[in-house]
Amino acid sequence: MIIAERKPFAEIKDAVAPYEKVLVVGCGTCVAVCLAGGEKEVGLLASQLKLARGQNGKASQIGEITVERQCDLEFIRPLSETVAAYDAVISTACGAGVQFLAALPEMKPVFPALNTTFIGVNEEAGFYTERCRACHQCYLGLTGGICPRTMCPKGLLNGPCGGNIRGKCEVNPDRACAWCEIYAKLEGEGRLGLIEAILPLHAHGRSTTPGTVIHPAYKRRYGAHE
Amino acid sequence: MSKLKEALAGGKFPIVMEINPPKGVDLKGMLAPLQGLNGQVTAFGIPDNEHAKMKLSALAAARLVQEAGAEPLLLMTCRDRNRLALESDLLGAGALGLENILALSGDFVSLGDHPDAKPVYDADSVQLLQIARGLMAGHDSAGLPLKGSPQFCLGAVLIPEADPMAPQLLKIKKKLEAGVDFFISAPIFDLEKLRQFKKLLGPQEVKFLACVKVPKAEEVEQAAQGQHRKVYSLPPEVVQELAGNDPEEVLLKGAALAGRLLRQIREEKLADGVYVKAKGKVELMAKVLEAAGA
Repeated sequence: MIIAERKPFAEIKDAVAPYEKVLVVGCGTCVAVCLAGGEKEVGLLASQLKLARGQNGKASQIGEITVERQCDLEFIRPLSETVAAYDAVISTACGAGVQFLAALPEMKPVFPALNTTFIGVNEEAGFYTERCRACHQCYLGLTGGICPRTMCPKGLLNGPCGGNIRGKCEVNPDRACAWCEIYAKLEGEGRLGLIEAILPLHAHGRSTTPGTVIHPAYKRRYGAHE
Repeated sequence: MSKLKEALAGGKFPIVMEINPPKGVDLKGMLAPLQGLNGQVTAFGIPDNEHAKMKLSALAAARLVQEAGAEPLLLMTCRDRNRLALESDLLGAGALGLENILALSGDFVSLGDHPDAKPVYDADSVQLLQIARGLMAGHDSAGLPLKGSPQFCLGAVLIPEADPMAPQLLKIKKKLEAGVDFFISAPIFDLEKLRQFKKLLGPQEVKFLACVKVPKAEEVEQAAQGQHRKVYSLPPEVVQELAGNDPEEVLLKGAALAGRLLRQIREEKLADGVYVKAKGKVELMAKVLEAAGA
């Protein structure tokens, strides 16, 4: 899932300072799971804003609403009407949700409440780690299910750099060297042959932003014939 | 053919001395060793923003060394350039007659003095060797033909004390397959570790320069406290000899030690040559060579 962290409160508060009526829009999917932007976090942020604005003696109205997913038109379309009563919107979605919301017709200025960090996993309650760079070319079948592009800070494709010390990463000594782990895993499984060949340069052309994926079954609909 | 390649091929035990491109454009310190030692060393190694700390361009420094009448060995990391920049710098090096290239991944940006810079690593060191071989064969990494091909003597790095060793051996194998003319090791202080590594590596046709280094007082103290975190180790006898001295004394004693190691490596034929890291200081380099009887 997509992992995000909430921005410092002062940054959010300052961004919407010029606006009297502000709607906080939550997202009920990834950012709710990582405790950054779901219904509970929307409530907390709205309360903080009300409190801060009250202290400043500023009359203000802070509204709250959480939709299932801000990255899906089906769920955000009705917000075009909801925002009519507000001057600005704070979105607690990831960057994708914020942009989709901001592009709606009749939308008011939208401000992000989160910094989107990575595609990751839920290791334990409140503990998330990165696993995927969404690089358009998955190597996991060759590398024992450990991503060399993500788990190695240098994204090296052909083995470890010279900087690992006793199997720990040069960049963060608390972390295992991804290539030492890949090697050990494949060695244990008798599959070292998979990493013997030199991998060619990564095709970055595929990941030129902004990316687009059209499902094969829909190519005709969107005029994207192969 | 470069002097380095010729010396390696002829079994002449080349000595490559590392100099330090300045942070700035004052060249006196960088070029001082050239006047003092040019007759005694085969080539001068030129780091490429070493430890991810921004310095004068290694390519420009290599040209300056060449203009001063010495032979450079240009270190080239994958950290700061994408494949276009790597290839175009390699062509630039080729056009300037800079033949000796050492391909490295490069220390990560967060370890240096521009920690918020974008780390590139479009290629890794194996792929950089392949890119250079491709240019030598007349085409770029996109397969497009060149008008005139450069000639290089290509080097790569190996870590004699790598732990675990097996993933490192995989990388070495790939570097050999990509086409490497010589290896340079990480610094080595414990020659027994070098002997063991040579045995492990087995007979290789490719040449190998062992790196001897003048250690800083700081790392000696770290080793004395069991806090030394490097890809090489400082054996107890080295720590005992150097620890507790003032920093200048450590450098002088360290230079003498590096010289003794150099001599022993040459006498025992533990390597085909040496790469000396002496802080880029001509007086330390001279001390190393004096202690080595070079």
